Amino acid sequence: MGLEDLAESMGQNVLTTTLGKLVGWGRGNSVWPAQFGLACCAIEMIATATAGVDIARFGSEAMRASPRQSDLMIVSGRVSQKMAPVLRTVYDQMPEPKWVISMGACASTGGVFNNYALLQGVDKIVPVDVYIPGCPPRPEDLLNALMILQERIKAQGIMPRQ
Amino acid sequence: MSTEGVTITKSGEQGAFGGELLTVNFGPHHPSTHGVLRLIVDLDGEQVRRVKPVIGYLHTGIEKQMEALRWQQGVVVTDRHDYLSPPINNLAYALAVERLMGVDVPPRAQALRVIMSELTRLSSHLVWMGTSGLELGAMSMLMYCFRERDTILDMNEEISGFRMHTSYIRPGGVMADATPRFLEMLDAFIGAMPGHIDEYEDLLTMNPIWRSRTIGIGRLSPEDAKVLGASGPMIRGSGVPWDLRKAMPYSGYENYEFEVATSDDCDCYGRYLVRIKEMREAVKILRQALDRLPDGPVNVDDRKMLPPPREELETSMEAVIHHFKLFTEGYSVPPGDVYVAVESGRGENGCYVVSDGTHKPRRVKFRSASFVNLQALERMALNHMVADMVAIIGTADAVLGDVDR
Amino acid sequence: MSSRGPLLPAENLVVEQGVSAGDAWVTVDPANIKQALQSMKDDGYRLLVFLTCVDHLADASRTWPARYELVYQLRNLETKDLLRVRAFVDGDPPHIDSVHDLFPPANWDERETYDLFGVVFNDHPELTRILMPDDWVGHPLRRDYPVGGEVVEFSEEHQTWQTAPEDA
Repeated sequence: MGLEDLAESMGQNVLTTTLGKLVGWGRGNSVWPAQFGLACCAIEMIATATAGVDIARFGSEAMRASPRQSDLMIVSGRVSQKMAPVLRTVYDQMPEPKWVISMGACASTGGVFNNYALLQGVDKIVPVDVYIPGCPPRPEDLLNALMILQERIKAQGIMPRQ
Repeated sequence: MSTEGVTITKSGEQGAFGGELLTVNFGPHHPSTHGVLRLIVDLDGEQVRRVKPVIGYLHTGIEKQMEALRWQQGVVVTDRHDYLSPPINNLAYALAVERLMGVDVPPRAQALRVIMSELTRLSSHLVWMGTSGLELGAMSMLMYCFRERDTILDMNEEISGFRMHTSYIRPGGVMADATPRFLEMLDAFIGAMPGHIDEYEDLLTMNPIWRSRTIGIGRLSPEDAKVLGASGPMIRGSGVPWDLRKAMPYSGYENYEFEVATSDDCDCYGRYLVRIKEMREAVKILRQALDRLPDGPVNVDDRKMLPPPREELETSMEAVIHHFKLFTEGYSVPPGDVYVAVESGRGENGCYVVSDGTHKPRRVKFRSASFVNLQALERMALNHMVADMVAIIGTADAVLGDVDR
Repeated sequence: MSSRGPLLPAENLVVEQGVSAGDAWVTVDPANIKQALQSMKDDGYRLLVFLTCVDHLADASRTWPARYELVYQLRNLETKDLLRVRAFVDGDPPHIDSVHDLFPPANWDERETYDLFGVVFNDHPELTRILMPDDWVGHPLRRDYPVGGEVVEFSEEHQTWQTAPEDA
């Protein structure tokens, strides 16, 4: 009796899948963001965590204060020259696998401010997975980005990131 | 530079328990510092002996950026320094430019400006209450306050298209007239808001945990507040009735009846009561402004400052020339300098504008209430426990975008 | 804004005075700045609202006594009057006395002015950079410091035009 016959005979009680899909499903549905609220986008990030636009539905309610306990860094706000080494240190403290969402125009490309004081995009110092345009983006935009990231995580499975 | 963790330094000072002082870094990446504020704190056991704030982690070069933008383009950038009350920042800049140009906006524009300012004051205090509550453990405050704030943001979106950074108040008037739907939403909001404020008071004002965490914490005497230049709820929570809307009224505030909220407690609890009262007074002002909203144009009728309506472009050559000039070079402001201060949720937010007669400013300086209020932190936090630092930072209500500009 | 009250005790220190867009201002010699501000404070202007600097490099609107203009905005809490005190300094770096002992809010304002303009305040307890990183070179808000950032394509600053390689 093969595995498929066994599964059929047990009806709906057995689920067969690959290890990669299982791990991806687990990781994707429990992405814990590290709070990295810098400026105005941080307020919209907090609003995403509130009851109207609930990020807890997607498993990301636990916004950890410590980067050592989180998977995702949502860079929300403008990154100044003084903050850049701090951001890189926090990114390095996060354990693998980790992802970065660059929220807002300032974090993605420097935004309204094209001057000496800001990094023109956080991707100059950390690798970014999803960019969200907007100034600030709506909370629903952040959820959309999280969903895109979740699809990507689920597709990645157990392979380590290149 | 360490962002988290503890640095033990031999400062050589003896603490009360015979040990040495411990220097702890409340790093820029911290959940409770309301933004990227770094505090270097010397501790004797659990008591704070010295606090040194280190700022600059959000320095955006806004003042330099405004020198590179034309006068009308600068409005967009003013939204973003005190990011919890964008229309109030716009108002300071717009009033300063209008003083230099020597124009007065029509009454309907003034009333709409007052409406947006008070809505923003409510939104700013709601964010303050939500995040302060969250930091001191009252997590449901965050949910309730942001629910009301979402209604205010919906109104912002209705009138200007943006939720937060509206750029609604511009030199010469406002961006566009209020739609009928906005006025309906405002009416419904004014009716519902006092009940919500009662809800917040039910949750916090007599709450024993809230009271024990805020009463007696962060004392700032009235003399200290005046000497340190504090403004807003920081000085009104110490009993000094200084409110720019009453002392030096602008934009028609002298026509509205409201009280200045003060409290004699001089501590975090007193400032909390001041902000609650300010929210109630804001609703009162909104009611009066909505009931008495005058008709008329919303922009000053100066073709040298604002573009002509699009219908005129079809018939008048002069209108086309004005339109072209305004959108390519922009208008020029006569040389001079002026300082205008408005009352934001944090205190005195002012705009000092220097013009050299060209189409770009020579210097725009923002007098930021949070920058000055944060200097009072060193005085307020002495000899408190580490856990009270969170309450004290919260009560100062410093927005780091405003501090660092 | 109401007009200035009776003669200030510092009348002998005032070099120039006037009204700009409704704001009253006086100019004093930078060497006398502490004395002038002390007498303004004794006269009731006890609050320093802000302190900043304006760089008048290549400013053609009028002839300026010096390149850097330090602006002190004072307010009288009782009569609600505003008064602006100006002092013109030159030099590389320009020097002026610190007023942090008269007005505590000046402490951070002077650090910021030093950081962004390079104005050195004598006798300041801790004149270090406050907004830029500690090892930053240059003073960003001076007029000869470029705005910085990235060059935007197809803008006025973008000199080179995208062309095909010569050997194509």
